[in-house]
Amino acid sequence: MPLEYYKELLLPNLNRAEYQITSPESDRYNCIAWAAGHSDRWWWPDPDPDSDSYWPATAPRAETIASLQAMFQQLGYRECATDALEPGFEKVAIFAKDNFPTHAARQLPNGNWTSKLGAWQDIEHQSLNALAGNASIYGDVDLLLRRSHNTTPL
Amino acid sequence: MQQQTKPDAPANLETQFRSLADQWRRETGMLSSISQMAAHPAYQEIIAMGPDVIPLLLRELQERGGHWFPALRALSGENPVPREYTGRIPKIRECWLEWGRRQGYID
Repeated sequence: MPLEYYKELLLPNLNRAEYQITSPESDRYNCIAWAAGHSDRWWWPDPDPDSDSYWPATAPRAETIASLQAMFQQLGYRECATDALEPGFEKVAIFAKDNFPTHAARQLPNGNWTSKLGAWQDIEHQSLNALAGNASIYGDVDLLLRRSHNTTPL
Repeated sequence: MQQQTKPDAPANLETQFRSLADQWRRETGMLSSISQMAAHPAYQEIIAMGPDVIPLLLRELQERGGHWFPALRALSGENPVPREYTGRIPKIRECWLEWGRRQGYID
């Protein structure tokens, strides 16, 4: 079953992509939490001290790619060049639109990607392009990161 | 914060609120930045409707969830959520609903 029509309008490549819904809607967690391997909190580097979003205390709180990269580095991720499946590595892709970070997806062992779409559902999609493009509300992939399956986060 | 009377919202206020809330959900439900969600014109228009909209916000929060917390802070001048609940949306939601019950906004 596909996402509702109004959702695909905002992520138009999904309309011709292979994907499946893998969870119900939930505002318990979001894409960053899910990419980092968590589903119990809403993660976002909101600089507002009253923010409702969780962010690790050791990572900078700014709505920037650099802040997301710093957080994932603390989880053992390092920048990489390709989104191709590499045995022994787990990858995360950070999306941005107009230099503003919008989304993160995590690669699954089968090479597909898993994405939590804000408070909407989780989906498993074959390619990152399914969520990317000029007309996508997420913009394009801005940064690719990978870590060894054996990495112990700092 | 001064105690306020909490009559049921007028029908037109509720209709306007419902329309804006639905628009906001459709257009921001995929986002992760709560500040970006709160900056959406429909969200700002809801805040501009003033404190009369608080009962509607709380009912919406109770029935459909959503990141209505910045609006509730802006409209009430209060924040009943302990810092240790940061990021734990169901806990934050329950704090606000409990606050709403104490204030008499919802049952």
